[in-house]
Amino acid sequence: MVIVMEKHTAEANVEHVMSELIARGFDVHRSTGSDQTILGVVGDITTIDPREFELFEGVQEAVRVSEPYKLSSRTWRREKTIVNARGVEIGGDKVVVMAGPCTIESEHQLFETAKRVARSGARVLRGGAYKPRSSPYAFQGMGVEGLKLLRAAGDEFNMAVVSEVMEISQIEKMLEYVDILQVGARNMQNFNLLTALGQVRRPILLKRGMSATIQEWLLASEYIMSGGNYDIILCERGIRTFETATRNTFDISAIPVIDKLSHLPIVGDPSHATGRRDKVMPLARAIVAAGGDGLLIEVHHDPEKALCDGPQSLYPDQFARLMDELRIIVPAVGRAL
Amino acid sequence: MNRLDAEGELTRLRDAIDRVDEVIVKLLNQRAKYAIEIGEIKGVLDLPIYVPEREKQVLLHAEASNTGPLDESAVRRLFERIIDESRRVERLSASAKESV
Repeated sequence: MVIVMEKHTAEANVEHVMSELIARGFDVHRSTGSDQTILGVVGDITTIDPREFELFEGVQEAVRVSEPYKLSSRTWRREKTIVNARGVEIGGDKVVVMAGPCTIESEHQLFETAKRVARSGARVLRGGAYKPRSSPYAFQGMGVEGLKLLRAAGDEFNMAVVSEVMEISQIEKMLEYVDILQVGARNMQNFNLLTALGQVRRPILLKRGMSATIQEWLLASEYIMSGGNYDIILCERGIRTFETATRNTFDISAIPVIDKLSHLPIVGDPSHATGRRDKVMPLARAIVAAGGDGLLIEVHHDPEKALCDGPQSLYPDQFARLMDELRIIVPAVGRAL
Repeated sequence: MNRLDAEGELTRLRDAIDRVDEVIVKLLNQRAKYAIEIGEIKGVLDLPIYVPEREKQVLLHAEASNTGPLDESAVRRLFERIIDESRRVERLSASAKESV
């Protein structure tokens, strides 16, 4: 951190800031200019908030020059993290496709869809049992019965399974059935939930909040990791912008940015980002081409009859075609499928 | 001075700087040893590492000893860095003493 003092500030103000920093165990490099003093602060400054020092008398500006997140940063761990979910490695050489319906509606719907996506090469089955919806009157999910179906379908077609956890009370039950616990965009800054997930030893798929900066997102992962759970998969799903043609704007640049800043694997969800089936395939191709470690795609065996997010769900045939396209793209970026 | 002489002179002066640097490093380490001992004493007596008043004295003393050609602000800037490092070794030795 660098603290820039106001021009011609009283010496006592500089001393006050230095005393505080040194008392907290930091080293200070003082540089007195002809009319302005600059303090370089050295030590583990991830624990302090620079804004706090801007409130000190005589301080013009306090700027952090290193990242506030630690465990999730590349500085802390250089080699990429590979998350293992029931034998499926996310973050390794292979691009992992997770597919399935938005919401588990029935045994027939889930098994029918699972069979088709497994045949096309999906290695993780997705399906929501507890559904946070924008409207309280919309279908809210099947709950534990849905989780049981998800586990059975995963076992039947040899896929790991991922489902969203909405609140702390659901965690214990979900651990019985689910290989990856998903934290939705709306819960990305539900810090109580994140802290509780830090205590479990099961991979977490952490979606980016729809208005979250990359730094806030990595700080959210830090909440989980600081509890000792290091198996985190980040998932970009689009952010709120002024554009209305798509539901959210998919931040494709987040993929290389995260790759630079963090060792955590990152996957993309083109279904929620666009909200439109016809936009899902081009975006899915772009995510893989940009270096994404995987995809999270909604597929429904009969999207017209879907209880949730039908318009953004791919038909099984479209999904199969997408997988064929990905088989061409993946080797071009040095990966396998 | 012809070109050959000038090149020989440059080498001689660079060697001289290297010799001076060796002395500076030796003296800085001598200074650091005193700072370490002071840190130990501060640890025992539970005194603060950062004493602005004393740092001011050190700077003034260094400036007063200056005979040029460096100007006083240059001496001040150089000594600020030396003091930064002394404070660090004092802190380390004080906390080592504390935990004993």
